[in-house]
Amino acid sequence: MKILVPVKRVVDYNVRIQVKSDNSGVNLDGVKMSVNPFDEIAVEEALRIKERGEAEEVIAVTIGDSAAQEQLRTVLAMGCDRAILVEAPSDLEPLAVAKTLKALVEKEDAQLVIAGKQAIDDDSGQVAQMLAALLSCAQATFASKIELAGDSAKVTREVDAGLETIEVDLPAVVSADLRLNEPRYVKLPDIMKAKRKPIDTLSLAELGVDGTNQLTVSNWSAPSAREPGIKVEDVAGLVGKLKEKGLL
Amino acid sequence: MAEAKQDLPFDLTLTDDQRITRETMERFAESEMRSISRDADEAAAAPEGFYDKVIELGVNMMSIPEEFGGGGAPRSPVSNMLIAEDLGKGDFSLALGALAPLGVANVIMDQGSAKQKEKWLPKFTEETFYPAAIALVEPRATFDAQDIHTTATASGDGYVLNGVKALVPHGAEAELLMVIANLEGKPAAFLVEKGAAGLSAESQEAMGLRPMSKAKITLEEVKVGADALLGEKEIEFDYQRLVDLSRLGVCAASIGVCQAVLDYVVDYTNTRVAFGEPISHRQAVAFMVANIAIELEGMRLLVYRAVSKAEQGLDFHKEAFLAHSFASERTMEIGTNGVQLLGGHGFIREHMVELWYRNLRSVAILEGTFHL
Repeated sequence: MKILVPVKRVVDYNVRIQVKSDNSGVNLDGVKMSVNPFDEIAVEEALRIKERGEAEEVIAVTIGDSAAQEQLRTVLAMGCDRAILVEAPSDLEPLAVAKTLKALVEKEDAQLVIAGKQAIDDDSGQVAQMLAALLSCAQATFASKIELAGDSAKVTREVDAGLETIEVDLPAVVSADLRLNEPRYVKLPDIMKAKRKPIDTLSLAELGVDGTNQLTVSNWSAPSAREPGIKVEDVAGLVGKLKEKGLL
Repeated sequence: MAEAKQDLPFDLTLTDDQRITRETMERFAESEMRSISRDADEAAAAPEGFYDKVIELGVNMMSIPEEFGGGGAPRSPVSNMLIAEDLGKGDFSLALGALAPLGVANVIMDQGSAKQKEKWLPKFTEETFYPAAIALVEPRATFDAQDIHTTATASGDGYVLNGVKALVPHGAEAELLMVIANLEGKPAAFLVEKGAAGLSAESQEAMGLRPMSKAKITLEEVKVGADALLGEKEIEFDYQRLVDLSRLGVCAASIGVCQAVLDYVVDYTNTRVAFGEPISHRQAVAFMVANIAIELEGMRLLVYRAVSKAEQGLDFHKEAFLAHSFASERTMEIGTNGVQLLGGHGFIREHMVELWYRNLRSVAILEGTFHL
């Protein structure tokens, strides 16, 4: 079985984001970029499945400009067998990303896709669901546990009310939540080995995907600073305030 | 060693390998070191299994040739420097403790004979931590690395060593010590195995670097074979290189600590409110924080440049001297200002700044602790 893991190059989670002065986007000059943390969790899960002997190959794919090869090198060092870079604008919309991944799933005949539940840059959180719909296969989103059994997978999902366990037939798309696992530390010798692993480059056209965006972003702005809170003297004061705001 | 390139300017771009290594080390330092830093300091010991965890990352075996079981990466002082900086940010003492054996391996790789490489390098590629250290510093007020009092005298087929060494990392447990001794008026390095007759260790407690065990080592008529003398007869031992690269190793790790101080005080002074506004709005506070940032970056550039020249095979003695002199002073200043900026809070153990201050006091006196 092959597992396909999409990874996205995003601004590192430690970086304080700044909007460009002309409001045309986020300033990326000299900003540290990393693998989207949820995708790292997805990679880790795919590797664990392979290490348990339940999969033969883990293929990482990223869609973006050539700089995204850096992130592919990182996940190859973690242990992915090979990687694919689909050259495309880095602001490709979720539907086009899902279509691209569909083409790759079919090309590679992957039985399982494990994706991060969302990217921490645009927080769209749509690709996994769209991909499952396009493939007409099962989806199990926000996974905190994945157990494979033959042609099916038992997935524990983090839902609003708690945990939900579902069983899905393969092929399936699973999206990884934060508590699925803790990604491993890359070992230094594996960084060396990763250099010998192949990265194939494809274009959107080769995969028959139209990368034209359907949406126009008109403006970017930083969230406004939160108003400072107030301290109330006692319970009566709290109740009074809540009533004043019409909350009680 | 990379081929000698043009001297100036030097390149600050990380290679792909260095970038991925940094990502790993930064995360390891944050999750596995900073979180245990305080407890390890209180316990004056590294937690059980901690050094093995660092070994698992492959840090010590990476640049050892494949024929000796290593990773076969090119020997790179720059890569080692970045690792020291990142781990130093997690905890200075645990970083130096973990990297001390790598220092010994690096010297053997640089200056050991073919036989010494074959005998010793495989030890550093094992899956468990192999405690080894360079014994350079001697216990006297005016210690000067150029004036080594420990002596080596030719005797029969080998040598006899006499003298006292101080602050030797893992001194009491070390399986292998690289003892610097004066041989016919010149410093030389001897590989001394654990249990050698006449070798004794006495644990040393210190105000800082508490988790890393340190010892005073006494050598009394310690007999070693001719093969214990590092290097080969025909090739002159480059002692200055050993001193310079080990000073830079300590400097690199101390940069990480200073970065930790800076990050901490920036956050603290921007959130701590006094007189109705964050204390960073006061110039006396803001200037002190800015000075830490300026001095830290200056220190970093001096160290990077010296190590970059070393990596290129160029003479780097002057740069190493400048970097070490600057860092010796500035680290102390940054440590003390870190405490100062937190006022009374800086003095109590709830905050890390007092721990960093105590550790940074050691930068000026540590030599031979970690050779890049």
